[in-house]
Parts: sequence; C-alpha cells; structure tokens
Amino acid sequence: MTNPFEHRRPTELEDKAHAEAVRHFTEHLKQFPASRAAVERLERDADKIALAANRAAAKPTPKENIIQADDGRQWHKNADLLENIHFCHRPISYGAEYAVVEHFPAHGTNEIWNRGWNAGEVLKSFTQGQRQALQVWTEDLTLQVKEFLAEKFPGQDLSLVADAFIHKCTTQAVSQKQELTHNHEQKHSRGVRI
Amino acid sequence: METIPKNEAPDEAPTIPKPPERLAYSIQEAADMLGVNYFSVYRLIQRGKLKPCRALRGKLLVPRTELLKLLATE
Repeated sequence: MTNPFEHRRPTELEDKAHAEAVRHFTEHLKQFPASRAAVERLERDADKIALAANRAAAKPTPKENIIQADDGRQWHKNADLLENIHFCHRPISYGAEYAVVEHFPAHGTNEIWNRGWNAGEVLKSFTQGQRQALQVWTEDLTLQVKEFLAEKFPGQDLSLVADAFIHKCTTQAVSQKQELTHNHEQKHSRGVRI
Repeated sequence: METIPKNEAPDEAPTIPKPPERLAYSIQEAADMLGVNYFSVYRLIQRGKLKPCRALRGKLLVPRTELLKLLATE
C-alpha cells in the first residue's frame, strides 16, 4: 500500500481526522511495527536457525534446556523464536523431529504449534502463520479505523485518511518511531503532507 | 371505603442493578483480559484457537464464551 497523500496535500479535515486516529490507535501504532519487525527478523534468520537446529540434533543430546510438551514428550530447546515461543528438536530412531513450541507461563504448559522432520519446513510454516496473523491484524485495524472515522466525522469521506493511517502503521520502522512521531508533529504544524 | 396502605419500603438496602454481562469484546479488550499483546490475540485467531465474530462494519469481536473456553483448555 502506498501513502495516498504522497501526491497531494491532505485537507484540514483530513489532517485533523488523521491526528485523531493516531491518538486513538496509539497502542496499535506501537505494537504493530514491533510485531512486524519480529516476524521479519524470524524470516531473515530462518535458515540460520534451521541449520543450527540440524547441527544440534546431530550431536549427542544435552541434558539441559529440556521441556516437556503437551504431547508428553521431551523436547530440546534450540532457539527462541518469539516471546515464549521456541524452536525445538527431539531425537528419533532415524534422525530428529523438529517443532515450534509455545510456553504458557500462567499454566506452565508447552503447546506444540507445528512439527515435522524438516527443520526448514517447520520454521517456514510457522513464519507463514505469523505473516497471516499480521494480515488479519491489518484487515481488522483497517475496519476499526474506518468505523472510528465514520463515527467521529459522520458524512465525510475519509477513506484516504484510513489508508494513510494503515500505511503509516504497516510501514513505520520501529527504531525510527520517535523520529517519525516528531516529524509528524512538525508536518502538522507546517501544514504539509501527512 | 378507605384502603389500608401497603408497607412500601421494607428495611432493606437498595439493590443496584448489575450491568448486563458482555457477550463479546474488542481485540484490545480481549488482549487486556488475557494479559497478552494484540499480536498474540491475532495469532490465536489465525491458529483457530479463538473463533471471532464480526460486528456490523466487519471488525473482529471475541465472544466471551471463546475466551472462557481458551482459558479452560490452556
């Protein structure tokens, strides 16, 4: 998605509506870029993680970093994928089985997300799921923003504002967040593009 | 003929009516109730662990029953 205000200035109303949306959906603007960055990091490092898991599986099984999953079996933690989500392996008679396991601290349980004999495929399937979850989030947030704007500014067509907001949310870099917020405020005060 | 007035106010504390129990919650509310971030809720939806419903304009809502079911199974 491109920023719809790349080629023209927003009107005063569009500027106001955008600022209201940013204020209302602050938490989404904070959490989405961080989650997206985590998924991108995972996609970037997937091959390395799979290779390291293959190497670990080829060595004698260490005694530490063992977790018991909901399948009743013991798994060896290889890497942390996301918070409380680990990439694991367990030796089997003809090699190793790999799995993505989520730990639920409140219950102390470890639930298997997906498993298989190919580390790369297991990781790929997991990261695809994370991409889909981000997509569900984006679609839902778009509807939320549109609903918010329709309620706040009845009778106005602010679809470009919703698009601009989603563009901002889905493309904003985590490390530049503060800088962009600062820039956004400056742009508003100067009456230039969102 | 004069009627005898009934006792109007029994010596009981006035009862405050309870607000009706919510049937569904927004993603943000569900995340707060579960103590997780928004992404975790969308991940649970993507995995089919939480089955959302859609409000009038299409945005996702999480039924209370789904949250209870999730907490009972975890």
